[in-house]
Amino acid sequence: MSVPLAAAVGGLFAAGTFLLLRRDLVRVVWGVAVVSQGTFVYLLAMGGVDEGTHDLVPVLAGHGESVPEVADPVVQALVLTAIVISFGTTALALVLSYRAYEENESMDVTEWV
Amino acid sequence: MSTAVVAPLLVALVTAVLTLALGRYPRLQRRASVAGALAYAVTVGGAVWATVLGPSAPGAAAYQVGDWPAPFGITLVLDGLSAFMLTIAGALALAAALFSVRYVTPENQRVYYHPLFHLLFVGVTGAFLTGDLFNLFVWFEVMLVVSYVFVAFYGTDRATAASFRYLVLNVFGSALMLVAVGGLYATTGTLNMADMARRLADPAAFGVDPAPVVGLSALLLAVFALKAGLVPFQFWVPDAYAAAPPPVTAVFAGVTKKVGIYAVVRLYFTVFAAAPVAVDLPGVGGTTPLAFLAPVLAAMGVASIAVGGFGAVGHGRLEGTFAYSSVGQVGFIALPVAVAAAADPVAGDPTESLRGVAIAAALVFALHHALVKGLLFLATAAVEDATGTDELSDLGGLAGHAPVLAGATFVGLLSLVGLPPLTGFFGKLLTVDAAVRGLAVGPERLSAAALAALLGGAVLTILYATRVWVGGFWGVRTPAVERGGTDLGQVAVLVALALAVVAVGVGFDPVYRFAEAAAAAAVDTEAYVDLVDPTGGGSA
Repeated sequence: MSVPLAAAVGGLFAAGTFLLLRRDLVRVVWGVAVVSQGTFVYLLAMGGVDEGTHDLVPVLAGHGESVPEVADPVVQALVLTAIVISFGTTALALVLSYRAYEENESMDVTEWV
Repeated sequence: MSTAVVAPLLVALVTAVLTLALGRYPRLQRRASVAGALAYAVTVGGAVWATVLGPSAPGAAAYQVGDWPAPFGITLVLDGLSAFMLTIAGALALAAALFSVRYVTPENQRVYYHPLFHLLFVGVTGAFLTGDLFNLFVWFEVMLVVSYVFVAFYGTDRATAASFRYLVLNVFGSALMLVAVGGLYATTGTLNMADMARRLADPAAFGVDPAPVVGLSALLLAVFALKAGLVPFQFWVPDAYAAAPPPVTAVFAGVTKKVGIYAVVRLYFTVFAAAPVAVDLPGVGGTTPLAFLAPVLAAMGVASIAVGGFGAVGHGRLEGTFAYSSVGQVGFIALPVAVAAAADPVAGDPTESLRGVAIAAALVFALHHALVKGLLFLATAAVEDATGTDELSDLGGLAGHAPVLAGATFVGLLSLVGLPPLTGFFGKLLTVDAAVRGLAVGPERLSAAALAALLGGAVLTILYATRVWVGGFWGVRTPAVERGGTDLGQVAVLVALALAVVAVGVGFDPVYRFAEAAAAAAVDTEAYVDLVDPTGGGSA
């Protein structure tokens, strides 16, 4: 399971960096979003994708007998938080890019002030 | 006792919500904003007095959010280091809020200025207090999202472009920070800083391989250097500082930059310093991740001083000069930290060892920079408000036209240059002292480089401070200056800040003891671990 995850992280970071370096504003915003997604996959992979046990999930040890067959819930909580933040930032980036288009009458970052 | 830790955070949050609710009544909103900033400063003072400085204070306190015990719940920690940084934030919050009321008029207040201003301090306070690595990321984001909006606040083409660049850069930085946080979680199995320090100090007992920590901490260093505006991550600084409303620029330079420095000191010296891992890189050698920090941070500091100094000397606007100057001054803060990282940890009293002395020097310089740069950015705003320009070529003769404003600015410039008995003198003296002590006992080449950069940077500082004074305040009065009239309230804030610069310098002894206590807290990993008690059964 680790190899496909690693490939996904690498692919997302590569695609995101490529998009970040484009001249078109919307592509840059896409790049921001894709890089963030790469980070989330990475975070999930860091929690381990083994079957859950009490040792792996100490938070759940005192809360019920059974441990669900999931990866580490801590990283899932982290990713949830990070997604919310990234969502807000991407929305702000889209608004800013629209505003920048209005001000500069161009979506090309090289034509900016 | 421990509720005092969370109080500043709550006060700032309540003020932000209150000012948002009062958006329809600008007068009332401004009063609420000033009252909230005053309450914030008082709460910070009270919390610091009750936990760190007071006669019966325990020295530090931890607050477990929701009563969840340490490694699983979120911990807020107020120890000497956080207390020192929070005090800086409290002082600047009050000054900037008072100035904002006189500067940001209802016409350009646009409802959101004051709520955002206090949300900025929510983020800053959280970042200073948190004892959890992932929460550090979250508080950084709180702070950054607010600053994106502030940079874009005036909505001009330049402001929008600066904000967009700042946003993309910082989102990428935050992604890298998440990578580092995730890697550290996978390595150590915890996110709580105290728990991480405990596990890294004794890796065999917890089955931790500390080797990846060196690389992951290097990634964190890049992120924090980006937030602090150290070279080579300084390029967003001049644009963003020029675009943001000036009172907010004062807060950016005085407080949010320090969050990056604080994070470096906290994570490297409190958390990673105990990890026994041999660093074997070309030109770098040592037994903790600090060995890697020392040369890299020193190089960044030296480059920052050079870039900031020359940039400031060559800039034609007051705001740009001070923005570049603040890049250089962060280098002055980074260099003693690098010396501290290279120094051997000495058992016993940390306030006597080179490591403790150097961190104390960095903290005193941070305090000096916050006060002086706050004063100078606010003075720039006052000059711009009075004359309509901050181009040095359009200014002249301000000293005769507005003597009080010019006098306050003069105190700021003198402190920047480092004249006794102002705070800047002690900042410079202590950083040079740390470098000289480093020459005597420890890493000679690094300390020599630091010393040379500090002295060269001081010369550059004298150059641009003189240039600002001669070009803007002396000479023949220009038409712009002749027309302008200063605002009494703005000048009063400047005078208060100038008096603070003098007062901290004259009554320096207690300030230095506070900085020493902060440095001792920064290097005392064991006390930090004991305080948070990350064994899972700790009491709140």
